[in-house]
Amino acid sequence: MIAFLMGRLAQSLILLVVVSIIGFIVLNLIPGGPMSQYALDPGMTQDDMARIAEQLGLNRPLWVQYLDWATRMVQGDWGTSFRDGSPVTAVIARHVPATLILMGSSTVIAVGIGTWIGVRGATHRYSSFDYAATIGAMIALSIPTFWFGLIGIYVFSLQLGWLPAGNMYTIGDGSLLNYLHHLIMPSIVLALVHIAIWSRFMRTATLDAISQEFVKTARAKGVSERRVIMKHVVGNALLPMITLAGVQLPSLLTGALVTETVFTWPGMGRLFLDSLGYSDYPVVMGLLMFSAVLTIAANLVADIVVALVDPRIRLA
Amino acid sequence: MTKTHNPSTGYSRRDTLRMLAAGGAAGLLAPNLLGKPAFGQPTTPNGRIVVGVTQEPTVFNPLMPHIEVDDSVAFSVFDALFRIDPQGMIVPNLATEVPSLANGGISEDGLNWRVHLRDDVLWHDGTPFTAEDVKFTLELIVNPDFRAWRTTGHALVRDIEVVSPTEITWRMEQPFAPYLSFLTETFIVPQHILGAEANPNEAAFNQAPVGTGAFKWGQRQAGDNVELVANPGYHGEGPYIERLIFKYIPDMTVMYTQFRSGDIDIAGRAFITPDNYAEASNLPGRTVELVPAGSVESIYLNMEKPQFREKAVREALYYAIDRQAIVDILYYGVPRMTETFMPPQSWYYKDDLPEQSYDPDRARAILDEAGWLPGPDGIRAKDGMRLSFANSTTTGFHLREQAQQFIQQTLAEIGVEMTIENHPAAVMWAEFWQQSQFESVMVGITYLIAADPDVTSRFHTGAIVAQGGRGSNNAQYSNAEVDALLEEGTRTFDPEARKAIYHRVQEIIRDDLPFLPLFTNNTVYGRKAGIDGFQPNTNTRSEAWHAAGWYWS
Amino acid sequence: MSTASTLPAPAPRWWKSRVVRRFLGHRLALLGLVMISLLTLACAFGPYFLPYDSLQIDLRGRFLPPFSGDHYLGTDPLGRDIAARLLMAGRISLLVGFFAMLLATILGTLVGVIAGYGGRTVNAVLMRLVDGFLSFPTIFLLLALAVALKPSPIMITVIIALTGWMEVARIVEAEVRSLKEREFVLAGRMLGLSRAHIMFREILPNCMGPIIVAATLTVARAILLEAYISFLGFGIQPPLPSWGNMLNGAQQYLGSAPWLAIIPGLAITIAVTSFNFIGDGLRDALDVRSDSF
Repeated sequence: MIAFLMGRLAQSLILLVVVSIIGFIVLNLIPGGPMSQYALDPGMTQDDMARIAEQLGLNRPLWVQYLDWATRMVQGDWGTSFRDGSPVTAVIARHVPATLILMGSSTVIAVGIGTWIGVRGATHRYSSFDYAATIGAMIALSIPTFWFGLIGIYVFSLQLGWLPAGNMYTIGDGSLLNYLHHLIMPSIVLALVHIAIWSRFMRTATLDAISQEFVKTARAKGVSERRVIMKHVVGNALLPMITLAGVQLPSLLTGALVTETVFTWPGMGRLFLDSLGYSDYPVVMGLLMFSAVLTIAANLVADIVVALVDPRIRLA
Repeated sequence: MTKTHNPSTGYSRRDTLRMLAAGGAAGLLAPNLLGKPAFGQPTTPNGRIVVGVTQEPTVFNPLMPHIEVDDSVAFSVFDALFRIDPQGMIVPNLATEVPSLANGGISEDGLNWRVHLRDDVLWHDGTPFTAEDVKFTLELIVNPDFRAWRTTGHALVRDIEVVSPTEITWRMEQPFAPYLSFLTETFIVPQHILGAEANPNEAAFNQAPVGTGAFKWGQRQAGDNVELVANPGYHGEGPYIERLIFKYIPDMTVMYTQFRSGDIDIAGRAFITPDNYAEASNLPGRTVELVPAGSVESIYLNMEKPQFREKAVREALYYAIDRQAIVDILYYGVPRMTETFMPPQSWYYKDDLPEQSYDPDRARAILDEAGWLPGPDGIRAKDGMRLSFANSTTTGFHLREQAQQFIQQTLAEIGVEMTIENHPAAVMWAEFWQQSQFESVMVGITYLIAADPDVTSRFHTGAIVAQGGRGSNNAQYSNAEVDALLEEGTRTFDPEARKAIYHRVQEIIRDDLPFLPLFTNNTVYGRKAGIDGFQPNTNTRSEAWHAAGWYWS
Repeated sequence: MSTASTLPAPAPRWWKSRVVRRFLGHRLALLGLVMISLLTLACAFGPYFLPYDSLQIDLRGRFLPPFSGDHYLGTDPLGRDIAARLLMAGRISLLVGFFAMLLATILGTLVGVIAGYGGRTVNAVLMRLVDGFLSFPTIFLLLALAVALKPSPIMITVIIALTGWMEVARIVEAEVRSLKEREFVLAGRMLGLSRAHIMFREILPNCMGPIIVAATLTVARAILLEAYISFLGFGIQPPLPSWGNMLNGAQQYLGSAPWLAIIPGLAITIAVTSFNFIGDGLRDALDVRSDSF
């Protein structure tokens, strides 16, 4: 078991290195660079631009830049943003809360609604609700998230005027209610796909749990159906779902980026697009590593959980 | 225009002296405009103004490389020695007067400068501002370890000497007239804070600046807004509002929506799009005005590409562009037609250049005559070369992209193929632009630097970077007569004589067509009607260049 | 765009008929098949029956709402007929989706078979590579590549394929590994068949089921990705229409001309839903465990 864990951990570290190298190469494949934003400034001379590029270390060979970056990274120094000169970790940290709020609230929505739909679908198998839920989930998975956001803005902001079209809060109104008001639409839009995924998995997990012995026992003992479902079935079905939540994290992150662009949400997605626009390589690399670490960690955890359950690996 | 101080990029010693004299005169004519309160302003700062901007301010050390939107914060938090007002006059800011030959601030040879400073200025942390801060700032800019923004002019400064806390002198390596106006954008930073930093590039100051300006640093919600608060002890006029907020809204349409709904009080850079101008003008409780901008929108050609070498081709292309439809329909009549790079508001503008008209028949005739005949695919060709070229612009500007596709169609009607290859800004304005790798570009260019008619850096053969020159002649335009005229222009001081020179330059360039002018821009400024004291100033890059004077009526 | 490819062809007759029967019994899958066939036919032949060309600009007739005269779906900001653009865009989007799927499936299958059949080291290296690609958030890789390379339809197809082959590789690898020890493979080995023969002629046909299901879902995914990068302006360049770039800029006119946003989005949703329905039906028909959902 220990050997398996160590092996897996080592593989994950190698993976991170591979990811960082690919990322670095792709990023530097992009023509242009951070100097572009000054090219139309009439007072900026070619000499000034060359000097700034030199000061940023941009005219060193690519592999030197990579090694320099990687060495610092290992020591916990993620570099400094070309754009505003503050540490990359600080830049990312400033944008994490907004994304976390969005992801958190949409996870709550997805888990809540998805669990309900999944459990109800499983307990009322082949009912019209079950069919509707299945079809609904497939359609939800097919709607482009950004387009769903646009339609939401059209209906609820422009036509009905119920919800704000974007932003995290109204300037000058820091009340919780104001935040929540702004949170409703983006978190529902982001949750849509995950409600679909969650409900499908929950349905399967619940069906598995229903057929298990202890549920039958509980039923036989005369425990009310509602209680059986709530306590035994849902409780047992939720357990494997936690792994799913981990595995879903990266896709949730990607979804958040998409949603943020539509709702002008000041999170990491916005930061990524802006940083790509300014060729702020350290920040883009930082975001890349941040999400790669998250993804790899989630996969690692999933593998470990599977390993704990799987006797062949556990005993090996 | 003559009394306006116009810094020039090409300079000579005599030119310098004349400029310095003019600048001094302007200083005398406008004694401290910035310190003079008018009527109706509140006695204590109150209220809040939210300025929407479509790029995020992220650079708060004004000496470091930054973009336009960062200037708005810099102008509010910091002071420079001087400021340039909407009429182009240079007025004192931290200095007590603008140095000139007349007042002895600048020596006869233009080399020795002496600036007297205000004695009543405090940094936001309460430390008094002195000449040491000015010395520190000027030295920091040329410090090789410091990642400074523009260094032009500053690199010529030698022997900075602090005579007293309110007096500083330095020597210039050579006379440089534009330095005075460069100093209006050189914000003074505190020595007692930045001087103590081991690495000024990564100082905490850069994220929470301390200045002498009308507003103090408040807080920043990254990706969303920057909030400044009034500095009640400001030495100049104002501030009259308690809080000044720059709200980042990454999309121009969303920004306009928020302007309409009243979430933002002023629609700042990149302003209201022309397609929303008519609606914005009719909004109740909003003041919306057109402000002439210095930029000229054109199809900018790379003269070294074989397709564009022939003048007949460029002429034909020009005749095949329906500019009237572009301006009136796609841009909703907001811009103005132009035939030249010179903005119409300039005194040097030549208004009787031949006017282009949309005439596809004539375009076809010109091409036929020049031997460009339609091939089997409908595209004209000559000597085996198809009349086909790529046009590029920055992705995301929807009006420009529409105009691009419209031009593509009208060109196709005369048998010319224009393909569209748009790029994100970071790619577009890098080597692709700087090293003239494009075939043609749709772009709005500001040809003049601070209203001076000299365009050496744009049209002189020596300014072609792709051919080893220094400047921004990205079109690779080369015409011996224009070169000679431009050189003469920088040596000529009599405004009438200069006018003749630059009129001739405009004539030749209109005839040569290194770019096909589409229109000259008008910027749509919008603000709530209750805001007073707002002045557009096209001599700066910021709509908030003087937020100290804003107040709610 | 052919729908025949979604049906398993190279299988034994008895198996085929059973699968087809089960697939046809799956009402949603059938609905999906009908919808995507209609959409494909409309995109292929529709433009010939419309009175307007997709590139014809008419500045006097901009922003016409749907059902104005001959403009059945209205016009865009340049006065171009949206119906014509929608169908031409459909050709591009469906072709990009289809070929991206083809490339991704081929690449994924190759990697999967080699990793599954190869030794420990080959497996570890290839599967870590798969993990590596998987740990890039798709959007990051997609946008960075789209900015780096010239966004022609072919390039966009390649880029989407490059970000979408890993799922297939994973599925195939698992399948091959479980088949590797089965009797018919062992028999083949004893008969002295070459590795390549065993991998591609013996094992591969037996994992066609999961591959076909994954491929169907990959089309759906590819269409969504094309839409997203074109929406952001990094994808298919105008004037060539794609469903995604028709949405680019539509946000600007959401208040005044909402049909600009609604119509292409509906087309995307219908196409993607169809493929998802078909994939679901195939999964049931081919008895594929539904863990790739």
